[in-house]
Amino acid sequence: MRGRSSRAPDTAEVDLTPMLDVVFILLIFFIVTSTFAQEKALGLEPPPPPSRDDTPENTVPAILIFVDESSLITVNGRPTDISSVRANIERVRAETPESSVIIQVHPNTKSGVVALIRDAAYNAGYKDRVNLVLSQVE
Amino acid sequence: MARKRTASGGDGAGEATVDLTPMLDVVFILLIFFIVTAQFIKEPGVTVLRPEVDNKSEIKPLAILIAIDENSDVYIDKRLIAPAEIGFTFKQLREDNPKGEVVVQADVNSRAEVLVDVMETINKIDGATVINISAQKD
Repeated sequence: MRGRSSRAPDTAEVDLTPMLDVVFILLIFFIVTSTFAQEKALGLEPPPPPSRDDTPENTVPAILIFVDESSLITVNGRPTDISSVRANIERVRAETPESSVIIQVHPNTKSGVVALIRDAAYNAGYKDRVNLVLSQVE
Repeated sequence: MARKRTASGGDGAGEATVDLTPMLDVVFILLIFFIVTAQFIKEPGVTVLRPEVDNKSEIKPLAILIAIDENSDVYIDKRLIAPAEIGFTFKQLREDNPKGEVVVQADVNSRAEVLVDVMETINKIDGATVINISAQKD
C-alpha cells in the first residue's frame, strides 16, 4: 500500500495493436474492393439533332455507307464487305477529298458492324465529319 | 547497479515490445490513399462482347458505365433499365459524378437502334459530341 507507485504516468503507454488491427482490416477492404476499372473505347458520334430548316447541307459531297437489316454494307451504292469498307472510303475520298461520311444503318443492324465501320473511317483518315443516322422504317 | 539492471531486465524478457507507431503511420497513409483513389464506379454487371477495333483510347477518369447486352437490354448499375428511364437514370448518376467520362459497353450483337437511342440520350443530357464505345483490350 505504502509502496504504490505514484510515478506511473511517466510510463503511460497506449497499446496501439488493436487499432493497427482495425486499420489493417480497413486497408485490406479498400485494396480488395478497388477494381481499377479500365476501359478502352472507340469514339462514335451520335446522330445530329434534327434540323428545323428544310435546306439540307447537301452542298458537301458525302460518302454514304448504308447498312441494311442483315448487316449488308453498301458504299455509295456498291455492295461491299466489312474488310473493304476502308478501301472504298479511301477511293471515294481520293476523288472528292472534302467529302464527309454518312453511316446510315437499319435499326436492326448489329452494333458491332457500326463500330467496325466507324473504325474503318478512322483508318481512312476521318477523325471527324462522320455522321451516324438511323434509317426510317415504316 | 549494472548487475541489478540486468537482473530486472532479464525477467522482463516477456515484455519486449516493438514500437508499432511508424508502421501504423505507413498503414494509415496507405489506407488514406486507397480511400481517396477509390472511385466507386457502378458496373453494369453484364458481360458484353466488345468490338475489336484499331482506333481506341484509354478512357480516364471513368465515371458512368452503360451496357447494352446481346438482347439489346440496357443495364446500368446491375439493373435492367427500361428504354424510357435511361435518361432519368443517367441524370441521377451524372449528379453524383459531374466530371467523369461515360462509356457505353455495347455488345456487337445488340441492335444499332438501341445504341443510337442511348447515344442520343447521353448527347441530350451531356452535350457530348463523341460517345465512347467500349472496345476490346489488346
